[in-house]
Amino acid sequence: MSEHVNITIDDREIKVRPGEKLLWAALENDIYIPHLCAIKEESRPNASCRLCFVEIDGIDYPVAACTRQVEEGMVVKTRSTKVDRLVKTAFELLLSDHNLKCSECPANRNCALQRIAKERGLKLKHNRFKPIGREFELDDSPAEFAFDRSRCVLCGQCIWADRVGAEAWIFGFANRGIDRVVTTFNNLPLAELKCNECTLCVDACPVGALYYKREQKV
Amino acid sequence: MVTANKPQDNYKKMFEQAREQVQSRQEKSRVLIGTASCGLAAGAEQVKESFCREIESRGLDVEIIEVGCIGHCYAEPLAIIDKPGFPPVCYGYLDEGLVHRLVEDFIAGDDPSYEYALAALERNDEFPTFEDFPRGVYEKKVILENCGLTDFSKIESYIAREGYSALAKALSEEPKQVLEEVKAARLRGRGGAGFPAGTKWEACMNSSDDEKYVICNADEGDPGAFMDRSILESDPHLVLEGMILCAYAVGARQGYLYIRAEYPRAVEHIQKAIEEARKKQLLGSSILGTGFSFDLQVFQGSGAFICGEATALVNSMEGKMGMPESRPPRLVEHGFRGKPTVLNNVKTFAYVPLIVNRGAKWFKGIGTPDSPGTAVFSLVGKINNTGLVEVPMGTTLRQLIEEVGDGLPEGREFKAVQIGGPSGGCLPESALDVPIDFDSLHEAGAIMGSGGLVVMDQDDCMVAVARYFLEFTQHESCGKCTFCRLGTKHMLDILTGITRGQGDDQTLQLLKELSEDVRDGSLCNLGCTAPNPVLTTLKYFHDEYKAHIEEGRCPALVCRDLILYYIEPPKCSKLCNVCVGSCPTEAIYTRDDGLKAIDQDKCVKCDNCRKACPPEYNAVIKLSPPVLPAEKERKAK
Amino acid sequence: MSLIEGEKEHILACVKEVLGENTKTRENLIPLLQQVQHKLGYLPSLAMEKIAEGVNVPTVDIYGLATFYNQFRMNPPGKHQVKVCLGTACYMVGGDITLESFERRMEIKEGETSPDRLFSLERVACVGCCTLAPVVVVDDKVEGKVTPTRVDGIMLALNEENGKAAAEQKPDQSEGDDNGHS
Repeated sequence: MSEHVNITIDDREIKVRPGEKLLWAALENDIYIPHLCAIKEESRPNASCRLCFVEIDGIDYPVAACTRQVEEGMVVKTRSTKVDRLVKTAFELLLSDHNLKCSECPANRNCALQRIAKERGLKLKHNRFKPIGREFELDDSPAEFAFDRSRCVLCGQCIWADRVGAEAWIFGFANRGIDRVVTTFNNLPLAELKCNECTLCVDACPVGALYYKREQKV
Repeated sequence: MVTANKPQDNYKKMFEQAREQVQSRQEKSRVLIGTASCGLAAGAEQVKESFCREIESRGLDVEIIEVGCIGHCYAEPLAIIDKPGFPPVCYGYLDEGLVHRLVEDFIAGDDPSYEYALAALERNDEFPTFEDFPRGVYEKKVILENCGLTDFSKIESYIAREGYSALAKALSEEPKQVLEEVKAARLRGRGGAGFPAGTKWEACMNSSDDEKYVICNADEGDPGAFMDRSILESDPHLVLEGMILCAYAVGARQGYLYIRAEYPRAVEHIQKAIEEARKKQLLGSSILGTGFSFDLQVFQGSGAFICGEATALVNSMEGKMGMPESRPPRLVEHGFRGKPTVLNNVKTFAYVPLIVNRGAKWFKGIGTPDSPGTAVFSLVGKINNTGLVEVPMGTTLRQLIEEVGDGLPEGREFKAVQIGGPSGGCLPESALDVPIDFDSLHEAGAIMGSGGLVVMDQDDCMVAVARYFLEFTQHESCGKCTFCRLGTKHMLDILTGITRGQGDDQTLQLLKELSEDVRDGSLCNLGCTAPNPVLTTLKYFHDEYKAHIEEGRCPALVCRDLILYYIEPPKCSKLCNVCVGSCPTEAIYTRDDGLKAIDQDKCVKCDNCRKACPPEYNAVIKLSPPVLPAEKERKAK
Repeated sequence: MSLIEGEKEHILACVKEVLGENTKTRENLIPLLQQVQHKLGYLPSLAMEKIAEGVNVPTVDIYGLATFYNQFRMNPPGKHQVKVCLGTACYMVGGDITLESFERRMEIKEGETSPDRLFSLERVACVGCCTLAPVVVVDDKVEGKVTPTRVDGIMLALNEENGKAAAEQKPDQSEGDDNGHS
């Protein structure tokens, strides 16, 4: 196998590691593609946030960049009418299930959703879709941090940190469909479980769902 | 090394024995009762008891056998009486009285009581067979051939009709032969998408990994479809043999049947069939005395529609939430336990023994060049002959509905046919001449799906139907990806609004755009196909959507927020109190003049009173938009 | 939900038995949960914790499975379980009306168990008896063509059965045993 493969993203020719997924190849070369759920170390991509769509020459529909391996000579565009339409809809759908009081959020100005909005010229407010308005109880039982599910985008980054980083196995997904949540066994408060507050999960959260209490606003 | 004719010799002995056993059973009269799930629901158990009682009290020597689905579900409970000297005759609509009569006149006497018979099962000079019916011209039973005609609980009845002979034949040849035959037959997967089975098998066979799996997807979750259940219940060994053949072709040693939780009887029958096959050395180690070993196990689903999706099914078998994965890698490369896995639908496996035995040429002689073979449908809804049907691919929808299904009941006007369940679409009258095959249906906006076919008439609201399917997929969405989790939720909310008369042109536009995005952006096939019922109804029944939002009217009088119940004074009899008694909320009262009337504030629109009102009056009607005639007059003034 | 006396021991014994009879692997997790639920009628938290321990998987993963699949329930079912089919064929001929009729008669909503634990009501996707629509499964027995009037008949029969059972039990029971629900 050769040491690298040549691909073109947005007219820029880059050399990348063989076997690399397109999303990481782009990000490592400072080409931004929106994403929330992608975890580089994970062998099988989650592919659940549906934000990293790109167009690949020869494929007539947008493809999630986190699921495609780079191939020699691949020609990729990160923007197109089709891509922009899907990303906009996915983004607006996520916002319809997200607490949009940014000024109260500890992640304000350091939020993956804000970054996507800025990069793609999207608005951070409820657009075509009415807010779903799920109600959650705030879990502020740990001493250092809190978990506000109304901001959670279900990317799964905290679960990965909790399992692979901390080996605590406290967080997991539960329920199905629209009721899907990141939660604990029986929905118990974190303080009642074997959480030693390593806070790796807080650091992994790309939005303000898991946050340090000291950074809390209002 | 495979010894030259060992499997054939072993099989021959087994076959002779089984045939002898079955023939000796056929020397006396037999009653075959259809006790598949639908027969039982219609009262087959009581019918069986009646037969036992009647036969015992007369001291007759008659064998009573439970068989699977005979396919004529509209006439359940069904039974076949097979008396030496007569053709086997099928009777329907059985009850205690009719059973008494049949035992007395036919079994004890010699009068087959043809006036109660549906049809004979063998050609004869006295009574027509099912093939003589209009539907017989179009029907072609291949994998349903023996459903409901044989004793599913005995492996001998399968072997006696040359069951497992395909396996014996295959085992005396190289595995590649099986694959070549399936490939040459161009068998396409019957799970819905129509992917060529041979291609899948070949990829698995070519893998150098020596641990491989064969899985049968029997997680038939489409509401309104029950073909797979019927085959599993009625002819379990056909599916097992197909799986063993596949395992031999690809080199797998272990297989699984993933059967949904709601089918306890299918699980029971398959489990019994597996045990019997093991006893006969048709499963397990050294099958038919050869060096080939393969075993099967049942895995019971636990109630998640999404597990019909291949990668979700595998996750579920590995003890995880049944959530789909992005593909590639495909299952044939990275399947169960990360090993190469062939996963096919029940029907796909059921064709295999027949293809191996009768040859690819025979199979390609049925159906169309691109979709050879037959299609199995469960025909339900507003149609006379509900039940299981099997027709050659290429039959048109019109032939299927009008000839095989005998059209709609009297006074009913065809409006749409829904094909392929929640992933399929609703097609109008103008699309009825579309031939049934994977590609033509796809072009028309529906899909073959797993074969549910629901006929709808003027009383079915297309918006409500689209909403129903969306509610289903939204409820069954696994919630993993954004488009399906949130997109279907918003689609459902918009549709619910429309059924309440809320919305405008922009709402319809948004619904269409969102549907297209969910179709193009979802992770798995459940999400990608979920919008189909919406997109097809928007396309073919746009006027109905418009009537809801522009006039606040549901043309089919279904959407409950847009109708009201009204008792027409000239038709009400005054003297009868049936409607009052039928109302669960005491909304119906007697007016001073003796006529009945409905208190609209109390009415829950349950339809009880309309059903209860005696047909000679028919005084209860539904009105849409929900405006009382008196108010209408007032408004007019 | 707090467990009543003796219940805890029963749950522990049951989980122990199931774990003893099966291979304790993650792959076998769903069959294990099915067997425990089959014995207990539901999956109490305690059972989930014990299974997690026995199979060596995180408790939250068991919770995830139990909340993902329709089949699993975390509260005890009623003595009589009524499942209303809402498959396409049933829906088209008023399955939803049938469901509502049950809700009215039982005074509970779909997915709930009555406070006296006599009834629980569920909707199911399709039981595959479409030609007999609308279909209802009452304690594992399939009933076809269930109109709202038939709902009344079914409820009457179930109540009669409950009445009989209660009458037979009454002599042995003290008054205070009556669960105390209003």
